[in-house]
Amino acid sequence: MELEEMQQAWEKLSQRVEKQDVLTAQLVEKSTRQSYHSTLNRIKSAELMGTLVCYAGAGYISVHLPKIEGLGMQVLAALTLGLLLVLPILSLASVRAIKGVNISVATYVETIQTFARQKIRFQRLQKINVFLALLLLFVSLPVVAAIQGKDLGQIPHLWTLIVPVVAVVFMGFAYWVLKAYNKTLAEMESLLSDIDK
Amino acid sequence: MDLQDQFTSVIKENKGLIFKVAAMYTNSPDDRNDLQQEIVYQLWKSFGSFKQDSKLSTWMYRVALNTAISYLRQTKRRVSTIPLELDADRLAEDYDKTEEEQIQQMYAQIQMLHLLDRGIILLFLEGKKYEEIASIIGITPSNVGTRISRIKEKLRTQLVKQP
Repeated sequence: MELEEMQQAWEKLSQRVEKQDVLTAQLVEKSTRQSYHSTLNRIKSAELMGTLVCYAGAGYISVHLPKIEGLGMQVLAALTLGLLLVLPILSLASVRAIKGVNISVATYVETIQTFARQKIRFQRLQKINVFLALLLLFVSLPVVAAIQGKDLGQIPHLWTLIVPVVAVVFMGFAYWVLKAYNKTLAEMESLLSDIDK
Repeated sequence: MDLQDQFTSVIKENKGLIFKVAAMYTNSPDDRNDLQQEIVYQLWKSFGSFKQDSKLSTWMYRVALNTAISYLRQTKRRVSTIPLELDADRLAEDYDKTEEEQIQQMYAQIQMLHLLDRGIILLFLEGKKYEEIASIIGITPSNVGTRISRIKEKLRTQLVKQP
């Protein structure tokens, strides 16, 4: 479709849109109500759930900390606790809304630049998150076993089957996630450099 | 006329603008409706402080496009073509398959462009002059001209690549 044909299609679309009235009245009525809450800056429920799970885990380990014996195990417990506290902070920090953009004043280019920079920051933090989560997986295993009074050595096929399978699945997932992140990173960097041309 | 009545009248006069921006940056009818709602809300929030330093349409496009970009954080970055169903009764009355296909094809091609070009082409198709496009986008009028020529070239390339 050439630009001229596009203009004709756009004209047809404009004519169709002009004919509808009901939706417009509803939009205004809802937006001007005091109770309306903006969807921008809202934290997604999945992110909130992840944070709650991490903090619940941190609470569980903190409560049972006195049960953990041996310096090595205590270091692992402290590391687990640290990871459980840091992961949600990193995650929430990375999904913060576009800050510092005044929607009614900023130009489109300024908003795109902020959006692209935020996206790049988000992708980088998410990469760190993926590796920290893998670390958490291995560090927390002996800690939870110690709290529950279980000997890891007695769990059948733990080191020969369960841990390697989980690690391979996680690494596969991480590879897939990072590939997607890298693609978005490249796109955002290219967008930023194109704006500067 | 109080502020809310003035606002309602402005939105009614510019409903096409809100719909078309929302449709270009979302990938489902639900998202499109949410984004339309958000644009109207953001316009309402700053309507009282709009000082008429710029044209009303310039301010509205700026708010609508900036809201659309901010909204992308909430959804997948890539957008795909969506059915542009409007009022159901109106559709039954006016439905034209060829016209619908042309509109879909146009959206599919526009959505293959990156964010900056998408904003520029939207304003160009809306019949805005280079100066106004430049003022909304934040680049110079001559840069708008250069970019529109590049977009034309990109569209031709897309056309060649299509089976």
